Amino acid sequence: MKQHTSNTSKRMLVLLLPILLVALTIWPAVQTIHASGTGTVGNKKLVYDDAGLLSDQERQEVNRMANEYGPVQQTDFVIYTTNNPEYKDVQILTEDLYDSKGFGYDKGFGNAVILTMDMRNREVYLAGFGKAETLLNDQRLNQIREKITPYLSNGNYKMAFEQYIQTSSRYMNYKLGVNPDSFLLNIWFQLAAAILLGIIIVWIMAARTGGRITVNRATYEDPNASGLLDQHDRFIRTSVSKRKIEKSSSSGGGGGGTSSGGHSHSGSRGSF
Amino acid sequence: MPVIDYKCSNCGSSMMFDSATGMLACPSCGRKDDIEQMPDPIALVPFVPGQVQSYHCSSCGAELVTEPETSATVCSFCGSPVVLSERLSGAYAPRSVLPFTINKQQAQEAFRKWCRGGLLTPAGFMTADRIKSITGMYVPFWLYELHNMVEARGQATRVRTYRQGDYEYTETSYYDIYRKMRLHYVNLPIDASEKLNDELMDKLEPFPYPELKSFKTPYLAGYTAEKYSYDDEQLLPRAKEKTMSYIDAAISSTVTGYTSVTYTDRDVDTRVQRADYALLPVWMVDYDFESKQYIFAMNGQTGKVVGKPPLSKGKLFAWFAGIAVVTFVILRLITWALGGDLL
Repeated sequence: MKQHTSNTSKRMLVLLLPILLVALTIWPAVQTIHASGTGTVGNKKLVYDDAGLLSDQERQEVNRMANEYGPVQQTDFVIYTTNNPEYKDVQILTEDLYDSKGFGYDKGFGNAVILTMDMRNREVYLAGFGKAETLLNDQRLNQIREKITPYLSNGNYKMAFEQYIQTSSRYMNYKLGVNPDSFLLNIWFQLAAAILLGIIIVWIMAARTGGRITVNRATYEDPNASGLLDQHDRFIRTSVSKRKIEKSSSSGGGGGGTSSGGHSHSGSRGSF
Repeated sequence: MPVIDYKCSNCGSSMMFDSATGMLACPSCGRKDDIEQMPDPIALVPFVPGQVQSYHCSSCGAELVTEPETSATVCSFCGSPVVLSERLSGAYAPRSVLPFTINKQQAQEAFRKWCRGGLLTPAGFMTADRIKSITGMYVPFWLYELHNMVEARGQATRVRTYRQGDYEYTETSYYDIYRKMRLHYVNLPIDASEKLNDELMDKLEPFPYPELKSFKTPYLAGYTAEKYSYDDEQLLPRAKEKTMSYIDAAISSTVTGYTSVTYTDRDVDTRVQRADYALLPVWMVDYDFESKQYIFAMNGQTGKVVGKPPLSKGKLFAWFAGIAVVTFVILRLITWALGGDLL
């Protein structure tokens, strides 16, 4: 009995060893990614709170946070709030801001994400420039906007802005074509799937220990004498049901464009 | 003379069936007789109906201890193979026999190998050192030839979905289907022994029928054999039941291209063309493990082993944990490769 348990654990060790090795080899890579984020924290002005939604302290905190995440993605995370005195469209407001300030972590007119709040029309616009135009495409910007809209509607602006910076930065890690919020990538779903797979495979293994039936209908069938003698497939009727295709529930949607300064970008607009 | 034995015409020792050559062999002088060429002594014995109460070994004279079903055995005193002719003639005369190709030593070795290969069996079981007995047994089977005329009716649907404007349309077409098939099943084996577990015997299949020989008693020399406990009529329901799934599969294979099929009625007309009584070779292994008895059976031609071995809880858990952990780690690595966090 004793020998048997030690045998089993030995096998387990053999099984787990490669996993451990892989984990050890990739750990430094993970570390450097995180480390690069804390390396050089600049103090660039990234929050333009013209509408005065944040207190001074709040604005400083959000600005610091934007500066912290910037180096990680080599991208400027910009927040712009305005009462829109000139009755401009929220997308034009965003584009004009980019054209005039020339955001970009890497260079002028480089990588940047801009969140624009038009308080007059209660509209919000998200735009991705440079690297962020592809990594944060219309679809992903929509997802980010849908995430922060409840906070915006409640007036919890600081929370919304923090969420926007964190989520944008996180989404930019993901390869193109991957839905970052897919349940398939959820750790709890994966844990449950792994446990379920273990149960199913072991159950099948246990069921098969007694020997399987290896004969089928072809084993004893006389192919020369057997066959189809008569058949028909008669059509009776057709019934058709229709269902209205639900439009995406939230107002607004995707849509990038090109600024008057000639800078193309991805985008997502909506109201709050 | 209800008891037959086989004496070597050279030296007078008891001859046994040799699975390697398929001949009757003398263990003392090495003489080998071709069974197909020799006259079957059972043909020389006049068939006398009526139960004989006791049999005596014709070599040593000791009384043979047999069960009522036993038709061939080995004398427990002198080891001579004996055949009880009365239980193999008349209505009990087998039509064919499938001789063993695996001898006792090979069977034992094959069983050990099978035990070692068990991924979930306890380590103590895997050494296979507690084989209590291993018996070569000719098991009575009925080989049915069933001619079926099958008519099936049912309803099938084909579903198509398409979009038009703001609407999604689901179009379901209903069909009335009818199939008439002739399905002949040949040499469908059903075990006719009362003692043996039907499920176990079903799993032993398939038996290689081309090796079937017309019955001659010398094939039984050195093995035990049983006569059938149920006749072909009693077992016909089991034979029909066994073909049910084959018939269903055959019908289904002709109904294709539908989203769903439901059968409203299925009419099977079965005619028994013939039912042959055959003896098929099985090694029965009695195994003691932690004061419990396990019975395994091995196909005497193919070496296929069936029977439920004990399962080790430790190994079950180790496999489960191993698979779950590896799967989880792989999923996390994929997530990480796609840009997510490792944990």
